[in-house]
Amino acid sequence: MIDKLMNTAVFKWIDDRSNIGSIIREHVTEYPTPRNLNYMWNFGSLAITVLVLQILTGIFLAMYYKPSAAMTIGGYTVAFDSVERIMRDVNFGWLIRYMHAVGASAFFVVVYMHMGRGLYYGSYKNPRELLWIIGVVILLIMQGAAFFGYLLPWGQMSFWGAVVITNLFGAIPVLGDFIGQLLVGGFAVGDPTLNRFFSLHYLFPLLLAAIVGGHIHALHVVHSNNPEGIDIDHDKETIPFHPYYTIKDAFGVCVFLLAYCYFVFYNPSAGGYFIEVDNYVPANNLQTPAHIAPVWYLTPWYTILRSFESKLLGVIMMGASLAILFVLPFLDRSKVRSARYRPVYRQMVILFFVAVLTLGYCGHASATPVLKVVGQIATAVYFGFFLLLPFVHKFEKTKPEPEGI
Amino acid sequence: MKHAWSSLVFATMIVVMPAAASASGGGAHLEEANISLDQETLRKGLEVFTDVCMGCHSAKYVTYRGLMDYPEIGLTREQVDELRGDKALLSGLLTELTPEDAAEFYGKAPPDLSVIAPGRRGGGDYIYSLLIGYDHDPKGEIEDGNYNKAFPGNRTAMPDPLAWLDHDPEETADLEEQARAVSSFLVFIGDPHQLERKAIGRWVMGFLVLLTLVLYLLKREVWKDIKKH
Ligand code: HEC
Ligand code: HEM
Repeated sequence: MIDKLMNTAVFKWIDDRSNIGSIIREHVTEYPTPRNLNYMWNFGSLAITVLVLQILTGIFLAMYYKPSAAMTIGGYTVAFDSVERIMRDVNFGWLIRYMHAVGASAFFVVVYMHMGRGLYYGSYKNPRELLWIIGVVILLIMQGAAFFGYLLPWGQMSFWGAVVITNLFGAIPVLGDFIGQLLVGGFAVGDPTLNRFFSLHYLFPLLLAAIVGGHIHALHVVHSNNPEGIDIDHDKETIPFHPYYTIKDAFGVCVFLLAYCYFVFYNPSAGGYFIEVDNYVPANNLQTPAHIAPVWYLTPWYTILRSFESKLLGVIMMGASLAILFVLPFLDRSKVRSARYRPVYRQMVILFFVAVLTLGYCGHASATPVLKVVGQIATAVYFGFFLLLPFVHKFEKTKPEPEGI
Repeated sequence: MKHAWSSLVFATMIVVMPAAASASGGGAHLEEANISLDQETLRKGLEVFTDVCMGCHSAKYVTYRGLMDYPEIGLTREQVDELRGDKALLSGLLTELTPEDAAEFYGKAPPDLSVIAPGRRGGGDYIYSLLIGYDHDPKGEIEDGNYNKAFPGNRTAMPDPLAWLDHDPEETADLEEQARAVSSFLVFIGDPHQLERKAIGRWVMGFLVLLTLVLYLLKREVWKDIKKH
C-alpha cells in the first residue's frame, strides 16, 4: 500500500522537489531494526502517540479555556468556570478534558517505562549517550509542562501546589527571590501566574515535539539497542521497520488505548490519582488544604525534597536527583550493556526501581515519622545506585554475551 | 526468563494502578448511600435540593435549562417554568441567601454544591453520611445541631438540614431516602455526562478489543518467518 502511494504522480512531483521518498525509505519503511526487540521497545512509539493526543486535545481545550483568576460568584474564578463549562456545556468537552487529564498521567507511565527499559538494557551507554541526554531533557520539559498545566483549572491543589513549588526557589541563595518572582509574576501566586503558566503550558509541548524530532534523529544515527545489549550485524540481524515494527507498534498502541480508554470512560480521576479530589474545590488563598501532595508522577522527587531538614539542601538534592540522570552514561564504566549479562548491575537496577516506587508512595501519602524514614532510606538507595555505578565494573563478573541475536 | 521482565512490568501496571486507586479513600467511617442515577431518584433529589438545600446552597453550574436538557432528569418546559418562577432559563440554581448573611447567621458561607461530590473524599457516601450524621456529642463539648459524625473535626456550621437529630423513628426510612436521593442528585450534577460517558465507553472498548485482536493476528502473520527468540 505504501509502495502504491509512493508511485503516484503527485508523490513523484513532491519527491522530485523534496527528496521525501528517500527520507521515508531511510527512516521509516526500510529503516533497519534489530529483529529481537521485545515489547519494552514499544514505549517509544507510545510516547509519541500520547504526545500527539495531548497536543490535539490541548488545542481544543485552549479554544474554550480562559486563564483568569478573577472571582465569579460562589467563590469560583473565571478559569475554574471555564473548565466546568468545558465539562458541561461544550459538546464532548468532557471527553476532551478527561482525555487530556488522563493523558498527562499516561504520558508519564509510558515515559517512565521507556526510561526503565533504557536503564535495564544499558541503552544509555556508548554510543547512545547523547540519545539518553536528549531523553532527560524531554523528561524535564514534560515535568514542567505538566506542572504548568496542573495550575490551569485553578483548584485548591493547582493553587497550593504552585505555591509550594514556586516557594522552593526562594531557598536558592542570592537569586532565589528574583527567580521566584519572575516565575510567579509578582509576590504571590495569582492572576499573573495563571497567565504566564498558560503561555508556557502551550509552549512546552511544542518544544517537546521539536526535541522529540532530535531524539529520533539521534537514534537513527546510532541505531536501536536490543535486549542482548550487543552490537549487531546490520546486514544480517536487522529487519526493515515496515512492516515488522509498524504492525508491532500498531498492536502496542491498541493495547495502550484499551487501558487509556478504560480510564477516560470509566475512571477518569482514578480515585484522585489523575485528578486530585481537592482540585474540585476552587482555589482559596486563605485556606490551606490539610494535605498538599503533587500528582503521582512528581511524588518521587517531592519525597527527596522532603527527606532533608534544610530546605536549601532538599532543593539541591531534588535538583541533583534529576541532574544526575544526565551524567549516568559517564558513571557506568562497564563494557557490557544489558542487565541480562550483568548480575550485580541487575540487582542494583531492580533495587533502584523499587526505590523510585517507594519514593513515589511516600510523596503521595501524608507524612508520618515512619514514612519519613522510609523515604530517606529510599533517597539513599536512589543516590547510592549512581554513586556505586562507577565501581561496579571492577568487581562484577559479567556473564558471556552471545555472538549474535 | 527473557519475557519475565516485561510481563512483570505489565502485570504491575495493570494490577497496582487500580488497586492503589481504590485504596485512596480513608477518613471517618462512611455509610453506604446506594447512589443511583435513575430518573425517579434524581427528580426526588432535585426536589429535596430545591426545597431544602437551596435555602442556603447554590449549584451555579446547573441551569434550569439543564434540568430539561439532561435526559437523566428530563423535566418538561412547564415543570421548569414552575420551578424557576421569574428566574432566567439559563440562570444557575442560585440561593437567595447572600454570602454576607450566611456568614452572619452560620459563621461560614455554605459552599456551592455543583462539584461537591467529586470534591469530597467518599463522594456521594460522604454527603449521605453527613446528612444523617447529626448526633449528640458523646463528649458533650459540641452543641447539638453542630455535632456531626461524618464531618471532619465533627463541628459543622451547617444546621441539621433534614432535621435528623432526635427524629421520630417512624421517619427514619423517609429521611434516609431523602438523603439518598439528594446525594444521588449531587453525584449526578458533579459530572452530568457520566452516564453518557459510560455508555459511549462500552462501544469504544468493544471496538478496541476487536481491533487489538485483529492487529495481534496480523502481527503474528507478518512475523511468522522471523526466527523465534
Ligand atoms: C441553613 C443553611 C443550610 C442548609 C439548608 C443546608 N446547608 Fe449545607 N451547609 C451549610 C453551611 C453553613 C455549610 C458549611 C459547613 C462548614 O464548613 O462547617 C454547609 C456545608 C455543606 C456541605 C459541605 C460539607 C463539607 O465537607 O465541607 C455539604 C455537602 C452540604 N452542606 C450539603 C447540604 C445538603 C445536601 C443540603 C440539603 C439537604 C444542605 N446542605 C442544606 C448550610 C446549609
Ligand atoms: C506535554 C503535553 C501536555 C501535558 C503533559 C499536559 C498536562 C496538563 C495537565 C496536567 C492539565 C490539568 C488537567 C486537569 O486537571 O484538568 C492540563 C490542562 C490544560 N492543558 Fe495541557 N498538557 C499538555 C499539552 C497541552 C497543549 C499542547 C495544550 C494547548 C495547545 C494544552 C492546553 C491545556 C489547557 C487549555 C488546559 C486547561 C483545561 C483543563 O484543566 O483541563 N495542553 N494540561
